[in-house]
Amino acid sequence: MKKVKALILRTAGTNCDYETQAAFEMCSAVAERVHINSLIENKDKIFEYDILAFPGGFSYGDDIASGKVLANEIKNKLGDKIKKFSLSGKPVIGICNGFQVLVKMGLLPEPKLFEQVSTLSYNDSDKFECRWVYLKTEKKVKNESNCIWTKNLPDIITLPVAHGEGKFIPVNFKLLEELNKNNQIVFRYSTRNGAIPEYPLAPNGSVEQIAGICNTKGNIFGLMPHPERYMFALQHPAREGFDGEYGWGKIIFQNAVDFVK
Amino acid sequence: MFEIDIFTKEGFKDSRGEHVLSDILGIGIKGVKKVDYSPFYIIDGDINKSEAKTIASELLSDKITEGFKVGFGTQEKKSKNPIIEVLYKKGVTDTVSESVAKAIKDLGITKDVKVKTGHKYYLHGNASQDVLNKIAVKLLANTLVQEYKIK
Repeated sequence: MKKVKALILRTAGTNCDYETQAAFEMCSAVAERVHINSLIENKDKIFEYDILAFPGGFSYGDDIASGKVLANEIKNKLGDKIKKFSLSGKPVIGICNGFQVLVKMGLLPEPKLFEQVSTLSYNDSDKFECRWVYLKTEKKVKNESNCIWTKNLPDIITLPVAHGEGKFIPVNFKLLEELNKNNQIVFRYSTRNGAIPEYPLAPNGSVEQIAGICNTKGNIFGLMPHPERYMFALQHPAREGFDGEYGWGKIIFQNAVDFVK
Repeated sequence: MFEIDIFTKEGFKDSRGEHVLSDILGIGIKGVKKVDYSPFYIIDGDINKSEAKTIASELLSDKITEGFKVGFGTQEKKSKNPIIEVLYKKGVTDTVSESVAKAIKDLGITKDVKVKTGHKYYLHGNASQDVLNKIAVKLLANTLVQEYKIK
């Protein structure tokens, strides 16, 4: 059977690359952490992989704004390759700082546009927010998610968040309407029962409680919470999980690996 | 030399400014009604105004929530309200400036530039010089490594 290869792009300040690698390996993929300088030297190397992941962390120290320096570097030095990879339909994920990078380089919400039309701004609290939250999985397409990464999930899941700049803001109301209409909103922060939450379960003040979005095709997924930190039930504070052993992150990464197979 | 000031656009939340106001009230100072926060960057090098504008729009400001002003030389005060300006002292490593200099090269502007970063806090309301000094020392500047000016 084909071995699925995942590229985890790292740079100075990335700190969730090992966990993301472990998550893909747990789902039977071959995952490699590749430094951005190495990819810039050999740009076509990206096409040797089936999945592209932008992991969490504090790239370039979150200087200027979280993800901004890395987004600028990728767009100007690897832009056409990243765009081509994304438009090919292969799975792409940006987690936390990786989501900030995807949004600020404009790969989300629409890679064809490849322009920044939304942002992840400072949390309303102006503090770093770190806790477990509930997420409502949007299921508007035949009672299933439009995103290839989030199929087979229950309506409400839990994942941890840890960020200072996670407030999702679209450029205008029209874009928000389009995101809703095209089923591009993947996760919203919620209460345990699926109701609209207040702080601290709404950790950042995101517009319409948006926690994760995808492109119209559903292959590019960005989210503030960390699925790679919930692969095992043991990682949950109450040891909750499914099949007595796994966390919801396992389903998310497995979906991408199975999609490629 | 250009100074680029970043500000929050109308209609968006200035979380940092609100946080500073809350801290001012928290140390028992009354009279300040509002704080506007504005990071700023001094770019020194052989760049022209068009390049400075590109740096401001593509790199230093957020396209959705922030605007910018690009001025030649350091900006003169135009506000009637007091401004507390915080900068690193000479000789202290400014790590953000190093990231900005790298990112300017990534943008395709290959000229050598020197960058300094700082923070401006526009205070609205009533505050004496003593109170402004107290706010600066207690809340805004780490005077071991930073200096502040009240304008």
